[in-house]
Amino acid sequence: MSSRLAASVAALGVALAVTAGVVACQSQPAADFGAPAVTGPASPAASAVGVPVRDGRPPRTATTEAPARLRIPALKLDAAVDAVGIDAATGDFAVPPSVDRVGWYRYGPGFAAKAGSIVVAGHVDSAAEGKGAFFKLGALNAGDEVTLVGPDGREQAFEVIARERYRKTAIPLDKYFARDGSPRLTLITCGGPFDAKTRHYRDNVVVTAEPAP
Amino acid sequence: MRNLSLRRAVTAGAVTILALGGAAALGAGPAYAKANSQVTVVHGIPGQAVDVYVNGKKTVPNFQPGKVAGPLSLPAGQYDIALTKPGDAIGDALLTVDDAEVPGGANISLVAHLNAEGQPALTPFVNDTAKLAAGKARLIVRHAAAAPAVDIRAGGKPVFEGVTNGKEGKADLDAGTVSADVVLAGSDTRVLGPADLDLKEGTATIVYAVGSAEAKSLDIVTQTIDGLHSAPGGVPSGDGGRADGNGSLPWYGIGAVGILLALFGLTRLATGRR
Repeated sequence: MSSRLAASVAALGVALAVTAGVVACQSQPAADFGAPAVTGPASPAASAVGVPVRDGRPPRTATTEAPARLRIPALKLDAAVDAVGIDAATGDFAVPPSVDRVGWYRYGPGFAAKAGSIVVAGHVDSAAEGKGAFFKLGALNAGDEVTLVGPDGREQAFEVIARERYRKTAIPLDKYFARDGSPRLTLITCGGPFDAKTRHYRDNVVVTAEPAP
Repeated sequence: MRNLSLRRAVTAGAVTILALGGAAALGAGPAYAKANSQVTVVHGIPGQAVDVYVNGKKTVPNFQPGKVAGPLSLPAGQYDIALTKPGDAIGDALLTVDDAEVPGGANISLVAHLNAEGQPALTPFVNDTAKLAAGKARLIVRHAAAAPAVDIRAGGKPVFEGVTNGKEGKADLDAGTVSADVVLAGSDTRVLGPADLDLKEGTATIVYAVGSAEAKSLDIVTQTIDGLHSAPGGVPSGDGGRADGNGSLPWYGIGAVGILLALFGLTRLATGRR
């Protein structure tokens, strides 16, 4: 091989490595799309008439309807949904330990919500059980169909409008757990680089879907 | 990465502009502009409906015992409050409080109740509307009855002890239903309850013990303040590592090929020159 040819090969190699590096870096956030349209609640019409008076008997909380199943045809996913809350030890979302189940945040909006973010989180994988229900969540695209099945078999169809990835330290969770604004379904899992020492992923992957027209 | 940090920079810039704009707008406004206070009126005097006057204006007509009115949005300042029998002239008020101080930006409950001696009184309480941790609910219990000191128990265990008229006990608890009752302080003599309290996540439930022990008219009135919820601390949803780099592998692969090519070329270059 002539030295000129060898130099060209080296140059091509460097160019490829640099390009790939730059594209790899840029492609991570660029792979995101959409920004969930989060609108505030319509401001109630200023009522000039009278002061509202309520009964002071102890309130009975209206039970929020729990979704029973989550279906995502594009991922060939049909998973059971558990109603979950907070892990008392950590203050984190109590994602069901079983990786083939997903968890609905029972303190937030429920199946028939007219406003706010219905949150369902699931494992991308686990050391004990392997790939999770949301292993491919990050592969969803705009327009993909997501169906939530209610307690009585009723279905509510949603359509993916956004997929975002955030470092866990920077994710705006308040936005995704908002109880006001337009009704939407928020799916959350883990993603990004995995730290084998702490056994944690660096990022969260968030998919937002709105009720299908 | 680059895009992400750029996006962050833009967001930060926008936030800065908003903040400056906000500051400018505030600066242009009157210097005393302060957020209004939210004032809720609670009726805890058994057997007597009233008209509530604020600064001489009838604000809550024919207000029934056990009811909760409001919130009224009131600018900071001093207010004259009067309670009359429905339809009576303000001069014949049952109870008046002049120059009641309302601070700015507070959430206040103004409670008409009996004091420890059984006389009508109007007591303001400032409500704790600090955000709750995810999964938690706030329980506030207020003694507003003509009764001695009491203990308030949840699930049979005292949570607030020795609470006297005009005082409150307060705790942030796990959301859910608790069975609560009220006993004479240091005893098992139940004066109220038990009642199931549904403590909703992200909500403050305020329970007023009202009425008179002597007249056997003790009862409870409740008020709730919602919207105090927070998001969970995080969403840990994977510890296997199988999804590391999901989707971006091809570019790492091409990068690796490039580095190998470069190394190969450089090696040939070096050996060729020898």
